Amino acid sequence: MYSAQDGMIARLESMFATVTDEGHGSVLLVFVLGIVFGSIIQYTKVHKFEKIAGFSVLKDTVVPKMLFLAIGLASIMLYFMVKMGYASYHIKPMILGGLIIGGTIFGASMAIFGKCPGTGPVSVAEGRIDIMVGAFGGILGGLFFTLFYEPIFKPLMGPNMGKLSILNTWSDSPVVILIFGIALVAVSVAIPLVEEIDNDDIGYKE
Amino acid sequence: MIKRIPWWVGGIAMALLLVFTFSVFGANRPIGASTYVPYFAGILFDLDPQKYVYLKEIHNPGSWEGVFLLGVLVGAFINAIFITKTFRFTIVPDAWKRYKNDSAASRLFWSFVGGFFLIIGARMAGGCTSGHFLSGVTQTAFSSLIFGGVVMASLIVTGKLFYKKGGKDDV
Repeated sequence: MYSAQDGMIARLESMFATVTDEGHGSVLLVFVLGIVFGSIIQYTKVHKFEKIAGFSVLKDTVVPKMLFLAIGLASIMLYFMVKMGYASYHIKPMILGGLIIGGTIFGASMAIFGKCPGTGPVSVAEGRIDIMVGAFGGILGGLFFTLFYEPIFKPLMGPNMGKLSILNTWSDSPVVILIFGIALVAVSVAIPLVEEIDNDDIGYKE
Repeated sequence: MIKRIPWWVGGIAMALLLVFTFSVFGANRPIGASTYVPYFAGILFDLDPQKYVYLKEIHNPGSWEGVFLLGVLVGAFINAIFITKTFRFTIVPDAWKRYKNDSAASRLFWSFVGGFFLIIGARMAGGCTSGHFLSGVTQTAFSSLIFGGVVMASLIVTGKLFYKKGGKDDV
């Protein structure tokens, strides 16, 4: 573990060293996963203001259609990967206050900013100055959260009720996951496709 | 060169990427994309990780997501320059002009505020669109199902209140 005196370069080196030692893929693999993730977002254009803020006014449905399709298919595939021993579940804990207050703040910010933390970097890389300013706001948000985590945020977030899921509390039969996954895919298909257009987007027409 | 893929191709590709990342052939962990922000804030503002409980808690996932994010940035930049040709400096998105106003100052102010609270919200909930919605719902996690429902409701209510009634082409 490093200390603050080590400076920024040493801390970045520590970032790579941590990934190497942690055993969740090599630095190269994680970097490539990031490239693929960013490219899927970029080629479907779901990072664009028109897609996310457009969804908030129900004028664009590409974001929910793609999200529901991805999680419907992935939930079924992951279930069988776990059953075969090729993957395991990593469930986030139920922290009711944090989920409800945090989710409300997150949804409102997403509508106004027109990005989420995974799509913002794609827009920064495309030269969007408003998103660079927003990213700076986000860094300050991260700083504020870190500084006031114990006195303010942790009490608001409430007690940890455990890592609960449908599969680990109710039934982990394949029937349950098939119904769950197919229902999500059905929602994706059922949402009518409407698209908002960005007239400034030269790449749009191709 | 392909410059755009339809939403369903993107959805299938994202499902495959999620499952590969979860698997022992990939990273044996879920994809997440908001922990890197306070992690980088700690580095930029030179906060001592021994002193701040939160920095200690996020040391490992923050490092992983930090490298992942570098991949996103570098990949998207190369794509934008050579393939999608979408690189350009802009301040006010086209739809912001239709939904809200033409003012660069207004857009920059709201971007800053939006970015700030986006991270506060994500860190309170313990995840974002990637960690909760994509990776979490895929595991049928109750935390992520609650987060997904609350975010969608808040997003649509905010869209209704914050923007002009459906944009200027509506009566």
